Amino acid sequence: MENKEKLIKAFTESLGIEPQLVTDELTYNTIPQWDSTAHMVLIAELENVFDVMLDTDDIIDLSSVAQAKIILQKYDDSIEFA
Amino acid sequence: MNTTTVTGYQVTLVPITLEHQALLRQWRNSPDIKQCMFSNGTISEAQQLTWFNRIKGCENEWHWIVSYKGAFIGSTNIKATAEGASVSESPELEAGLYIGEGRYKNNILAFAPTLAMYDYCFEQFQTQNFKARVKATNSAAIHYNQKLGYKTIRTEEQGSVLEMLLTFNDYQNSTKMLKQFLSRSVKNKRG
Repeated sequence: MENKEKLIKAFTESLGIEPQLVTDELTYNTIPQWDSTAHMVLIAELENVFDVMLDTDDIIDLSSVAQAKIILQKYDDSIEFA
Repeated sequence: MNTTTVTGYQVTLVPITLEHQALLRQWRNSPDIKQCMFSNGTISEAQQLTWFNRIKGCENEWHWIVSYKGAFIGSTNIKATAEGASVSESPELEAGLYIGEGRYKNNILAFAPTLAMYDYCFEQFQTQNFKARVKATNSAAIHYNQKLGYKTIRTEEQGSVLEMLLTFNDYQNSTKMLKQFLSRSVKNKRG
């Protein structure tokens, strides 16, 4: 599975949303499904799928799909989302 | 008089001083914060200073400004609900928080000041419960409080105000995961 697909799957399963909602512009707390509890489920899922462990600064900064991509690439520069 | 600095979950709560008043007033007068307050008029500089001079020596209410990575991002406070009791003596406290820095309003970091403050009160004071009065229209605050473990115990003023209560056990049970995520401090890379 491509990284972009993995990312979309992590968001859709963690937040319980449709794949078409997972765009770069989707931001924490702007839809009811992406609340603090779902955010933690999402972080755990991203860590599992991409085999990284985020530090707290990145958990705080990961407030959009676009930010998720940037942060994951910071941990592993082989991850691409093209 | 609040001279206690509290640190936890990446933030530091600094007792407010005169030099913080301009920033606090700026935040407090911003439309999104003002509309959530019970007293939602615009605060003048003179009113701000009168308020600060009233509360600066108070033992029944303490106010902090929240610092994250060296920048101020919001304000938090506690008030004793028991008549004549200090914040350290009162079995119940009323808590308040607002995030003034736009970047962190819709961010999980908004939980950090509250977690640091509640931990401190439950550990160091005689606090048994926290109480919150929230406008029924303030769904963000209601949702936020529910995530901390607050339960609505009654409604007031024909349903326009909710009174919410947080016990120590509900707080502990509701915030375990939040605390874990906001307490990681070491940069890690696996694999």
